[in-house]
Amino acid sequence: MKINIEGLLVYFPYDYIYPEQYSYMLELKRTLDAKGHGVLEMPSGTGKTISLLSLIVAYQRAFPLEVTKLIYCSRTVPEIEKVVEELRKLMEFYSKETGESSNFLALALSSRKNLCIHPEILHANIVVYSYHYLLDPKIADLVSKELAKKSVVVFDEAHNIDNVCIDSMSVNITRRTLDRCQNNVDTLQNTIRNIKETDAAKLKEEYRRLVEGLKEANVARETDVYMANPVLPDEILQEAVPGSIRTAEHFVGFMRRFLEYLKARLRVHHVVQESAPQFLKDVFDKVCIDRKPLRFCAERLRSLLRTLEIADITDFSPVTLISNFATLVSTYSQGFTIIIEPFEDRTPTIANPVLHFSCMDPSIAIKPVFERFQSVIITSGTLSPLDIYPRILDFRPVTMASFTMTLARTCLCPLIVGRGNDQVALSSKFETREDFAVIRNYGNLLLEMSAIVPDGIVAFFTSYVYMENIVASWYEQGILENIQRNKLIFIETPDASETSMALEKYQEACENGRGAVLLSVARGKVSEGIDFVHHFGRAVIMFGVPYVYTQSRILKARLEYLRDQFQIRENDFLTFDAMRHAAQCVGRAIRGKTDYGLMIFADKRYARADKRGKLPRWIQEHMSDGSLNLTVDETVQLAKHFLRQMAQPFRQEDQLGLSLLTLEQLESEEILQKITQIAHQA
Amino acid sequence: MDEEPERAKRWEGGYERTWEVLKEDESGSLKATVEEILFQSKRKRVLESHGQVRLGMMRHLFVVIDCSKSMEDQDLKPNRLTSTLKLMEAFVEEYFDQNPISQVGLIITKNKRAEKLTDLAGNPRKHITTLKKAVDSVCVGEPSLYNSLKLAIQTLKHMPGHTSREILIIFSSLTTCDPANIYELTKTLKDLKIRVSVIGLSAEVRVCTVLTRETGGSYHVILDESHFKELLMFHVKPPPASSSSECSLIRMGFPQHTIASLADQDAKPSFSMSHLDSSSDPGLSLGGYFCPQCHAKYTELPVECKICGLTLVSAPHLARSFHHLFPLQAFLEIPVEEHQGDRFCQGCQGELKDKSVFSCPSCSSVFCVECDLFIHDSLHCC
Repeated sequence: MKINIEGLLVYFPYDYIYPEQYSYMLELKRTLDAKGHGVLEMPSGTGKTISLLSLIVAYQRAFPLEVTKLIYCSRTVPEIEKVVEELRKLMEFYSKETGESSNFLALALSSRKNLCIHPEILHANIVVYSYHYLLDPKIADLVSKELAKKSVVVFDEAHNIDNVCIDSMSVNITRRTLDRCQNNVDTLQNTIRNIKETDAAKLKEEYRRLVEGLKEANVARETDVYMANPVLPDEILQEAVPGSIRTAEHFVGFMRRFLEYLKARLRVHHVVQESAPQFLKDVFDKVCIDRKPLRFCAERLRSLLRTLEIADITDFSPVTLISNFATLVSTYSQGFTIIIEPFEDRTPTIANPVLHFSCMDPSIAIKPVFERFQSVIITSGTLSPLDIYPRILDFRPVTMASFTMTLARTCLCPLIVGRGNDQVALSSKFETREDFAVIRNYGNLLLEMSAIVPDGIVAFFTSYVYMENIVASWYEQGILENIQRNKLIFIETPDASETSMALEKYQEACENGRGAVLLSVARGKVSEGIDFVHHFGRAVIMFGVPYVYTQSRILKARLEYLRDQFQIRENDFLTFDAMRHAAQCVGRAIRGKTDYGLMIFADKRYARADKRGKLPRWIQEHMSDGSLNLTVDETVQLAKHFLRQMAQPFRQEDQLGLSLLTLEQLESEEILQKITQIAHQA
Repeated sequence: MDEEPERAKRWEGGYERTWEVLKEDESGSLKATVEEILFQSKRKRVLESHGQVRLGMMRHLFVVIDCSKSMEDQDLKPNRLTSTLKLMEAFVEEYFDQNPISQVGLIITKNKRAEKLTDLAGNPRKHITTLKKAVDSVCVGEPSLYNSLKLAIQTLKHMPGHTSREILIIFSSLTTCDPANIYELTKTLKDLKIRVSVIGLSAEVRVCTVLTRETGGSYHVILDESHFKELLMFHVKPPPASSSSECSLIRMGFPQHTIASLADQDAKPSFSMSHLDSSSDPGLSLGGYFCPQCHAKYTELPVECKICGLTLVSAPHLARSFHHLFPLQAFLEIPVEEHQGDRFCQGCQGELKDKSVFSCPSCSSVFCVECDLFIHDSLHCC
C-alpha cells in the first residue's frame, strides 16, 4: 500500500499495517527532517525493520540530496539476512508499483564468503552490516571511513550498544599475546633487513613521507572525506612522526622495548589498578619511552606494514593490538583504566596474568559516528528507560519515543511471583541465595508450571554458578525427577556447541508434543540471539534479578567513572543493566502479534517501582496491580486461565481495525486520533 | 446413580479468583475481549454452515478419551474425568439422535497405552453403559496419541469409502508419550482421509495443532464446562464430505414396528437379535422391528442386521438428519437504529436491546441474538 506520511509518499510492501508502524514512521520522518538523532523503542515482532526501510528509502527518493545513504547496522548474521530479505520485498514492491526497475543498490556485508570488492559498492544506496564495521576503530577504518556525511545510520537491536562500544575500545593483553607479538616483531625485523638489501629506496621514501607528517590524512579529514577515527586523534595529524620512531629499525627497536616493559608488568603477584597517566609515567621511568612516540605507534605500524607490502595482516594482529593499545593509552587520559590481574578470581592458584585496558566511556567509540552522520537512529525492542542512553553515549537526540503494541487480545501476561506457597519470599539476593526454602520454592514454581504450560518453557537464571547450585539442589530434593515426568530438561552451558545441540533437541521435543524446559542464563547466548516463537516458548521464567557480577574490578571502575562523569548513581546503572537483560530474556517469548506467552518474574524485588519502572512500556502496561506479588498457587491459576483464553481461535479479521489496518482505515480520522496516543515521548 | 463422587474439601482445591469473572474490561474499547471474539466466531459458524455443501452423513467416529494423570485435575467439577464422561453420555445420545445412520467407538489412553472400550457400533445404549462404568477407572501415567491413533486406524481403514472417517480426541494432558514419530502417522491419516479433531482441556499443544491442521479437523481448547459442552456438541453436526470420497447407493431397510397384544393368538414371544450376546437384559418380548429381508427381530433402531448386514433405520430418524441437507437460511443482521417496526423479539418476546437485530429472510420476523442462535442451533426451523 502507499501511505502518505506528513506529505511524504511511502511505499509499504504489505496490504496491512500496524498502527504502531505508522506512528513509528511518523517519528522517524520528523527525526530525519530535523537532521538529528533519535532513540526509538518498539516491541519486537511489530515490523520495525520494514518500517525503517520503507520510510528511509522513500525519504531517499524524495530528497536525494538530503539523504544519500542508509547505513543499517545489526548485530548478527541472521539478523542481517532478515533485513536483506525485507529489503528485497520492498524493492520488488517498488518495481511492481512504478513499473521501472529500481536503480537502488543495496549492499550487505555479512561474512567473508559473501565478500565483493567491486568499486561500485562505494556508491551503494543502502549498506547493511554489523555494528563492528562502524564502531570498532580497527575495522571501521578499513570499511566505513569513506561513507558520505549525508547518511542515515540505524543501529537496530541497540539495547547493548554501550557494551559493544566499550568492547571495541578495550584491549586485553595476556602473556600469550605478548609472545606472539614478539614473533611478529622478529618477522618485521627480518623483513626490514631483507628489504634493505634489495630495495632500500622504498624505506627512504617512507621516511620522507613520515617527515612530512600525516598531512594527507589531515587534508582528507578536513575536506570531509573521511570519518574521524578514535585511534587516530586529530592533534597528531598536525604533527610529523617523531624522529625516534621514524626509521623502520628504530621503530622495531622501540616496539621491542615497549614489549619488554609489558612483560615485566605482567610478572606481578598482586592486582594493580592504575590510570593512564600513571601508566605513562611508569613507562617513562622504567624504559624511557615518551608519551609522544607512543601516540604515533598505531599509525607508524600501519605505514610500516604498507611499506613492507605485507599482504596477510591477520598474522600481525597481536602487534597491531599492542600498537593500538599504545596509542589509546597515550591519547586518552580519561575514560580508561588499566587493571593487571595475576590470576583469575575463580582459580587463585593458577597464574594467568592479564592486563585489562578497559574503556569505561562508551561515548568515545561512538562519538565519531554521531559527529559525522547527520542522523543516527538507535532502536530496539527494549530501550527503557530511554533517557539513560543519551546520557551514557553523550549525545543529544531530537526524538525519543517509546511505542506500545496495539493488541486485539492481550497476548502477553507478565506476572511477578514474590512468594512461595508457604509465604517464603522469593529472591535471588545474595543473603538468601543458599536458602533451602527459596530454592525449594523456585523448584516448586518450575514444577507447577511444567504441568500446565504446553510445549516449551524457557527458564533463565542470573548466572551459571547460581544455576549449577540450584539444579544440584533440585536434584537432591527430587524436584528434577518430578519435572521430567512433565517435560524433558535441557541445560545451556558455556560451551557453544553443547548449547546449540541442547537447543536443537529442545526444539524437537517441543515439536513432537513431548514438551521441554530449557534452563539457561541471562546474558548467555540463548538470552540474546535466539527467538522462541510460538510453541518454542509459551512461558519464560526469570529466576531472580540478573545483576551483573558486581565484584569485578572492571565493573567497579566503570561504575565509579559513570558516577563521576555522568552523575549516574551506581545503583541506578546496575538496576538499569539488570532490567534490560531481564526484559531481553522475557521478550524472547513474544515475537509477534499472533504469538502469546507468559512472562514470569520470580523475585519479589521486581514489584518495586524502581525495577518495574525500568521495564519497557509495552510490558509494563500489562502488569496489573493484582499481579505484583503472587504466590506460586495464584500464578498457576492465572496462567491456566490465560493459556485457555489464548488457545481460542484467533484470525486475522479479529485484528483488523484494532491492531491491523487497511489503507482506508488508516485514513480515517478516528484511527489517526488513536495513533497519536501510541508514541510516548520520553 | 445419584451417588456423588467424593468431593475434595474446599481448601484442598485449587486457588480460584472467582471475583475476576465479574470484572469488566477496564481498558475500554481498544481491546476486544476474548469473549467477544468467541461470540463473533459463533455467529460465523452459523453463517458458515449454510452453504449448500455435501455432508458426510454416514459417519464412523472414534472418540479417544485421555485418561492420564492430568484427568484428576479438579478444574472441572468434580474432576475432569467425571465431567468428561458425563458430557460424553450426552454427546453419544445427541450424536445418534442427529446421525441415525452413523457409528461410534470409544478408546481410552493411559499409562502410555491405548485401549479400546467399545468397537464401532450404532447402538447408543452399549456406549453409555460403558461410559458409566468408566467413571470408576483410575487415571494414571501419560497418554499416547500415537498408540490411540494407531488403534483407531486399524478399524477405520476398513470402513467403506463413502462414509466419513473421523477421530475425536479429548486431550487433557500436555504431553504425549509416543513410540515413534507421530508426523509419520499424520501422513497415513491424511492418505486414509481420516479427519482428526481435538478438544483440549488445558492449553494449546503444538502437536495437536499440526495434527488437526494436516488432517482437516478442528482444534479447540475449552474455557469452562459450558464451553466444553458447546465444543463437544459442535461435533454432533456431520462434517462436509470431502469431494474425493466415493459415492454409492446403500441398501437400507425400514422395518415397521409391530405391536402384538397378548390377546393375539398368533403372537409368539421371541428374542431380539441384539440381545443375544448380552446376558443382562431380558430377552423375550412380543413386539419389535423385523428386518424386511430376513425377519430377524430387533427391539430398537438404528442397527445393522446381524444376519444379513442390512442397515435398518426408521423413517423418522432419517428425516431428522434432513435439516443438515437443507439448513435454515441465515438471518440478516440489521443495526438496531435502522430497524423499523417491531421492538420485540419474535422468539422470546423480550425487548430488542442489543446493537443489532436479526430478521428471517422468508417471514421477515425479527429476533434477538439469543433466539437467532437457538433457532439455528436447536430448532432448525423458523
